[in-house]
Amino acid sequence: MNNNDIVIETRGLTKSFGSVIALNQLSIQIRRGEFVAFMGASGSGKTTLMNILTCLDTISAGQVLIDGQDLADLDEEGRRALRATKIGLVFQQFHLIPYLSALENVMLAQHYHSVTDEAAARKILTDIGLGHRLRHLPSALSGGEQQRVCIARALVNEPPLLFADEPTGNLDEENEKIVLGLLQELHGQGRTIIMVTHNPDLGAYADRIIRLHHGRVVE
Amino acid sequence: MLSRLIIQSWRRNPRRKGLVVATVFLAAALVSALLSVSIGIGDKMAKELKSYGANILMEPTEEAVLPRLFAEPGALSAGRVFLSERDLPQLKSIFWRHNIVGFAPLLAGQADADGAKIRILGTFFHQSLPVEGEADFRTGQQVIAPYWQVRGAWPDDEKNEALAGATLAAKMHWRAGQTLTLNRTQPVTISGILESGGDEDNQLVMPLKLAQSLLGLAGKIQAVRVSAMTVPENRLSQRARANRDALTAEEYDVWYCTAYVSSIAHQLEEAIPEAQARPIWQVAASEGLIVEKVQLLLIVATGAALLAASMGIASLMASTIMERAKEIALMKALAARPWQIMLLFYAEAAVSAVLGGLLGCGAGWLLARQIGWTLFGAPLGLAWIVVPSVLSLSVLIAVIGTWFPVRKIARLYPAEVLHGRR
Repeated sequence: MNNNDIVIETRGLTKSFGSVIALNQLSIQIRRGEFVAFMGASGSGKTTLMNILTCLDTISAGQVLIDGQDLADLDEEGRRALRATKIGLVFQQFHLIPYLSALENVMLAQHYHSVTDEAAARKILTDIGLGHRLRHLPSALSGGEQQRVCIARALVNEPPLLFADEPTGNLDEENEKIVLGLLQELHGQGRTIIMVTHNPDLGAYADRIIRLHHGRVVE
Repeated sequence: MLSRLIIQSWRRNPRRKGLVVATVFLAAALVSALLSVSIGIGDKMAKELKSYGANILMEPTEEAVLPRLFAEPGALSAGRVFLSERDLPQLKSIFWRHNIVGFAPLLAGQADADGAKIRILGTFFHQSLPVEGEADFRTGQQVIAPYWQVRGAWPDDEKNEALAGATLAAKMHWRAGQTLTLNRTQPVTISGILESGGDEDNQLVMPLKLAQSLLGLAGKIQAVRVSAMTVPENRLSQRARANRDALTAEEYDVWYCTAYVSSIAHQLEEAIPEAQARPIWQVAASEGLIVEKVQLLLIVATGAALLAASMGIASLMASTIMERAKEIALMKALAARPWQIMLLFYAEAAVSAVLGGLLGCGAGWLLARQIGWTLFGAPLGLAWIVVPSVLSLSVLIAVIGTWFPVRKIARLYPAEVLHGRR
């Protein structure tokens, strides 16, 4: 495998909370354009791993490289900048700002990235089928629509990595299909997608599954 | 985007912002009222304190340089040097003429009343004087000595009427309405009995013209009591009092153009060079002291109101930040810098402060008017300096109140908040 193909790599990654070891000597590699699912039971360490890979948490030992950048070399501002330029986040609970419209929620990500571009935010929402819901507040949107706004917000700055934490955990079957279809479409466009899930049916959509158990890779 | 965030946050979530506005409003109303009172109280109190009597005594220069020990208090007739009644309008020609509330000339002596020797005092009661710029200027004891208690009526300056001092009236068994014959030829009616608490209680107090006629001193006066509105004494005026020549030219100008009792006395001497004006320090000093103490009290109350408002806002902002922890965590996850999030909260607080401050200024103005009516019987006006001052203070207390809780933002850990671990 060419080194340039590796977009995420961990070497002996360990994360502990006091005496509890959440991740234990974890070494994984993810290729550019790959759709990977982190799976495991509750407490297996998959969310902790995602927090570290999205620069929301720090490691206790080992090494993490994101697109060739060693996270140990980055301070708080460096991690923030990396998150702004390389990472898009999709949450299980959507986490939309309740007093901003769908359009404004997407523009918020642009604001914290660099500058707002209403036309670009409008286009991405239209592309995912929410052109008629631009001015609606999250409370006026269905769960599936809220999740699509969340995906649009994650994509609007065109990050190379998209992390989705239980993206369909709060959706009904119909909306689940829509969101998964969207993720597959993005994968088809060459985007690297890392999804955290405990649902084997969802894991089936990924190119590769990394199973975790007590902070170790088991498969 | 920041303005959009603030506007939408305000439109969609006005309840908690309303509480911040209400807190600032209450503080701003109180502060603007207290500031208006503090600014206006100097003049109002000074006018009120005029009921304590004159605060400057003018006497002939030659008379004043003689040790007063040789004369009994109030025994003005002992002096042989006089001032001219004609010069009195000059007292209203000085730089601080509008601060001269009133004055009353004095001429004392002895007269025969139905065979008994009594002391008489000539003065103005409510005398009309030609003064430039004031069409109907009236002055006299009714203006400068409102504390005089008169049973009966005040004498008319143009008639042969007099007030009998209470002690003298009791001794002579005089009553209001009784007519006396002075110096065997001059009938004088006692219009009222006077209780002044001073030497006047032993005198027959009558219009100046009548006393001059009885004493054969037409156009002469011995002293003038002047009531002037003054500002409290300070270090500069004390230095001027100790040695005016030691002041620099600049200090002299400041002293001269400030309504200190000493600078007004100096200007009165310039108006009537034959007279020496002496501040009555007991009155002047207590006026300044009372105004200073009241202003200090208002400043302390203002400070307490600001502190209470800051603490209220801090408490509200702390709970707001807790309530909006997920929003803050999301912003951090979206790569917001901590200062960008803090700026949002500061800006929201500042908007609330400006709104509350403006409403508070209006309410404070009404409150100040009411306080003015209640305490002084006249409304206290709104000094325009109060509006920018109160708005600045409102923003300041909102920013200070926000500063404490907003530091939590930097410590907020998005991974924990977004995954519900906090």
